[in-house]
Amino acid sequence: MSRRPGLSPALGFGLLAVAGVAVPVLTRDSYYLDVATAMLMNLVLTLSLRFEMSTGQLNMAHISFMGIGAYASALLVTRAGWSFWASLVAAPLVAALVAVPVGRIALRVSGPYYFLITFAFLEVLRLFFNNSFVDYLGGPSGLVEIPRPHPLPLSGGAIAFTGKLPQYWLMYALFLVAAAVLIRLEYSRFGLVASAIRQRDLLAETLGVDVIRYKLGVFVLGSFFAGVAGVFFAHSHQVLHSSDFGLEPMVLLVVFTVIGGAQSVWGPVVGTLVLSVTSELLRELHHYEILVYGAVLMVVMLVFPEGLVSLPGRITRALDRRRGSKARAVGARVAP
Amino acid sequence: MSIELLIQAALNGFGLAVVYILVALGLTLIFSILDIINFAHGEFYMLGGFVTYYAFAVFGVNYFMTLVLAVLVVGAAGVLAERVVFRHLRGKTLNAFIVSLGLLWVLQASAQLSFGVLDKSVPSAVSGIVRVFGLIMSRERLVVIVTASALMAALYVFLKFARTGQAMRAVAQDPDAAALQGVNIEAVLALGFGVGCALAGAAGALLAPVFAVSPTMGALPVVKAFIIIIVGGMGSLPGAVLGGLLLGAVEGIGTLFMTSAAVNMLGFLIVIAILLVRPRGLFGVA
Amino acid sequence: MITRRSTAILVVLTFALAVVGTGPAPAAEKTLAIGLLGPLSGGAASYGVELQRGAEMRSDEINKAGGLKVGGDVYKIKLVAYDHKAQAADAATATNKLVFQDKVKYIIGNAVGATCNAAQTITEPNKVMFGFVCWGTANLAPEKPYSFRSMLSQWELAEPFYRWVKENHPKVKRVAVISPNDTSGKDTNTAVVKALKGLAFEVTADEYYERGTKDFYPVLTKLLAQKPDMIDVAAAPAGEAGLILKQAMELGFKGAKGWTAGTNPFTIVGVAGREAAEGVWSPANINVKSEHVSGAVRKFGEGYEKRYGEVPGVIAVANYAAFDVFTQAMQRAGSVETDRVLEVLTKERFETVWGPLVIGGKETYGIDRQFLYPLVISEVRGGEIVDLAQVLPAALKKK
Repeated sequence: MSRRPGLSPALGFGLLAVAGVAVPVLTRDSYYLDVATAMLMNLVLTLSLRFEMSTGQLNMAHISFMGIGAYASALLVTRAGWSFWASLVAAPLVAALVAVPVGRIALRVSGPYYFLITFAFLEVLRLFFNNSFVDYLGGPSGLVEIPRPHPLPLSGGAIAFTGKLPQYWLMYALFLVAAAVLIRLEYSRFGLVASAIRQRDLLAETLGVDVIRYKLGVFVLGSFFAGVAGVFFAHSHQVLHSSDFGLEPMVLLVVFTVIGGAQSVWGPVVGTLVLSVTSELLRELHHYEILVYGAVLMVVMLVFPEGLVSLPGRITRALDRRRGSKARAVGARVAP
Repeated sequence: MSIELLIQAALNGFGLAVVYILVALGLTLIFSILDIINFAHGEFYMLGGFVTYYAFAVFGVNYFMTLVLAVLVVGAAGVLAERVVFRHLRGKTLNAFIVSLGLLWVLQASAQLSFGVLDKSVPSAVSGIVRVFGLIMSRERLVVIVTASALMAALYVFLKFARTGQAMRAVAQDPDAAALQGVNIEAVLALGFGVGCALAGAAGALLAPVFAVSPTMGALPVVKAFIIIIVGGMGSLPGAVLGGLLLGAVEGIGTLFMTSAAVNMLGFLIVIAILLVRPRGLFGVA
Repeated sequence: MITRRSTAILVVLTFALAVVGTGPAPAAEKTLAIGLLGPLSGGAASYGVELQRGAEMRSDEINKAGGLKVGGDVYKIKLVAYDHKAQAADAATATNKLVFQDKVKYIIGNAVGATCNAAQTITEPNKVMFGFVCWGTANLAPEKPYSFRSMLSQWELAEPFYRWVKENHPKVKRVAVISPNDTSGKDTNTAVVKALKGLAFEVTADEYYERGTKDFYPVLTKLLAQKPDMIDVAAAPAGEAGLILKQAMELGFKGAKGWTAGTNPFTIVGVAGREAAEGVWSPANINVKSEHVSGAVRKFGEGYEKRYGEVPGVIAVANYAAFDVFTQAMQRAGSVETDRVLEVLTKERFETVWGPLVIGGKETYGIDRQFLYPLVISEVRGGEIVDLAQVLPAALKKK
C-alpha cells in the first residue's frame, strides 16, 4: 500500500500553527478574537470526533463528554477550590473515565446501531445535566458564575485571563497539543490500524488486531479531548446549560466534520473553518440564514461526497485529465 | 392510587403512542428499504399538519378528505425527495444523514417563512368526550386512535399481500436478489420513501386538530420515533409497534409517580437497559 | 488524490478567510444601534416576536419624527435583532455579536430566563444596558446594575392577583400550579406558591412539564386526581397554556382557571377553543381594545394590528414602553453613555403608554431595577378579554 497522499503532517501542522499565531497579529478586535477562539475550540472537537470516526463509528455522544469535562471542571474549581490548571488535567480525565463503561456498552454494536445507542446516551446525559443534582449542576437555569482561568504565575508576574487575547492564546495552546497528538497518531501505525478496522473489522482481527481494545482506546482518547474543550468552554463562557451539550450543537460538529471530509485528518479543519465563516456571513440574512445553510449543506454533500477536502484533488485530477488525454493518445500508438 | 387512575394513565399513554408509532413505522420502513436514517422525517409530519391546516381550517374541506389529501401530498413529497436528492446517496449512510439534516433545515425554514413562527390552531373535527366505566377519552382522540390503527392495519396488508408491498419487503431483505427476480428497484425505492413519509404525514394530519400546527411541530415526534425504533429494532415493523406501546405505557404511568423530567430520563434509561441485553433492539435485524 | 500543495493552499486560505470573512464593523455615524434578543422561532416565539414588534413600533415612531435628539446630537435608531431560539448557547453568541461587532450599548428586549443569564455574563462587565422581560429571579441583582426588567413579573403579580381571587371568589381554596421546566417556570411557580401560602390557599400541585410538550393528559390526570378548585397555568406560553386548558376540560375539569403569566389571551382562545378558555383570569395581560385602558394603549394596539395583522399582547406593549423609557432617559441625561443614563433611570418617574411608571423593586431584588406600573386583572368571556379591576403592585403604592 503506497504512502498516503496528501499534506505531510509536519507541514500541515506547521501551517495551522502559523495561521493561529497570525490571527492576533492581524486583529485585536474583541469580536474576531472571540470567533477565532471558538473556531479553535471547535477544531479540537471535530478533530477528536473525526479521530473516533477513523475506526468507522459516529459517536453521537461526543459532545456529552465535552459537557462532563465542563461541569466537572466547574465543580472542581467552584466547590472543591481547585486551581483551574489542576482541573484542566483532572476534568478531562473524568470524561475519559466515564467514557470507559459507555464505550464498552456502545461498542458492542456498530454502524447505525452504534449511532442510535450513542444518540440515546446523548439525550440521557443532557437530561441529567438539566434535571439532576440541581444544586450542583444548576438545573434548567444553568450553572452560573464559573470563574475565568486563574492567573498563571510566571517569572516576573502572572498572566491574567480576563481579556480575550489571553483566552485566545490558552485555547491556541490547547489546540496545538490536541492537534499534535491526533495528527501524529493518524500518521503512525495507529492510523493504519484504525483505517484497517474501519474498512474491515474481521480482516483486521485475523491480522492479530484486538479490535475492541483499539476502538475503546480511540473512544476514550477522543472523549478526553472533548473534555479538554469542555473545560475551556466552562471557564471562558462562565455559564453552562444543558442545551450547550445537546443534539443541536452535536449535529453541527458532525456537519463540520463530514462536510470537510471524514476520510482525511484535514477534513475537520477545512469543514470547521469554511462552515463557521459561512454561518457568520449568513447571519446577516436573519430569517433566511437557516434555509440557505441547509441548502448549502445539501449541495456540498451531493457534489463532494468525500467532503470539501477532496476539492483540490478533484481540480488537479480534472486538469490532469485534460493534459493526460494527449499523453494517452501518444501512448496508444506505442504497442505494449 | 386507584386501579382506575392507573388504567386511565395507561390509556393516556397509548392514545398518543399510536400516532408516534405511525411516525416510527415510516422511519423504520425507510431505513429497511433504503438504508437511510432520515433526520428530516419530522418535517414530513409537519407537512401533513400544514396540509390539514390549509385544507381543513382555512378552506373548509371535509376532514376525512383532508386526511387522504395529506397522505397523498406528503407521499408525493417523499417520492420527490428520493428522486431528486437521496437517489444519489445510495450506500453512503453518513452522507445521507447530513443531507437529511440539510433538508430538515430547508423545510423548517421554508415553513417558518411562509407560515410564520406562531402556533396556529386547527378546529376539532369532532368534539365531546366518551365515558366508559369511569374512564375518559375525548372523541377526538378516539378518532385518532381508530384511524391510526386502521392505517397500521392497511400497511400490514399492503406489505403482506400487495405486489408492490411484497416487492418492498424483497428489496429490504436483499436488493440484489430482488433485482434478479425482476423487481423494478428504482420504483420500489422511490415508493418506499414515499410510503414512509406518507405515514408521517398522516400522523401530522391526525394530530393537527389535537395539538395545533407550527413549523417546529415535527421536532418532538421524530425524537420519540427514534426512541421507539431504538427499542424495537431498526427495520422491524412489529418492533416499532411494540416499542411504541412500551413507550406509551411508561410515559403515561410514569407521570403519575414522578416529574415529567424524570419520566423522560426513565424512558431513556429503559432504552439503554434494553440495549444492554439486546443491542439491536427487541426485534432488531442483524 | 489530495496533493500537498493544493491542500496547503486551501487550509491557509480558509483560515485567512475565516478571520476577515466576518466583514468590517459598521461605521460610527450618527446612528444609534440598539440590540434586541429573543426567541424568534420555536415554542417561545410568541414572546420574541412581540418584543421585536414593540421595539420596532417605537423606534420607527422616533425615526419618523426626525430622530432621537440627545444633548446636541440627533440619532437615527437602528434596531439589530438576533434569534437565540431560547437556547442559552445561542444567546451568548448573539450577545457577543451585538456587543462586540455591532457595538451596541443598549439591548432592549429578551425573554426566557436562561438566555438572560447567558447574556448578562457579557452585558454587565461591558456596561451594556439590558432591558428584558425574563422572569428569572436572579436576573435582577445588586451585582447587575445595568439589567432591568421591563414587565411586571411573577413577584409583582402573584400576590395582588391571588388577593383579588380570595376577595372575589372565596369558593376557590385549592390551587394547582403548572409551568414549563426551566428557570422562568421554576421562579414563577415559586412566587405563585409563596403568594398562595401567604394567603392561606392550599397548593395541591407544584408541577412542571418539558417545554415543547403537547400531550398533557398524563400530567393532568395526576393533577386532577387531587381535585383542585383552580388550575393556574402560570408561566406556560400561550400555545401550551391553551393545550393544558383544553385537555383539562376534556378530562372533566370544571373549576376556575388562572394564567399568572398570561401575556396574550387572544392566542389562548385560539388554541384552547372558546369553551376551554372561558373564564380564564390573568393579571399579566392587557386588552388593548377595552375601555379600561388608556387612549395611548388603544392607539398603539390599532397601529400594531394595522401593521402586523395581529392583536398585540402585553409583551409588545411592555417593550414599546421600555424603548420609550430608555430613550426618554437618554434625553434627560443629555447623553447616550450608559452610566449617565443609569443615574436618570433610578431617580425619576416616566410618562409612558402605561401611564406613570416608576422603577423599583428593592425589597424583592436588593436593587431598584423593576419597572412598576398598574396591573389589570382580566377574564376571558365569550372569546373576549374583559378587564375586571386595576391593581397597583405593592411597590408602586409606596412611591
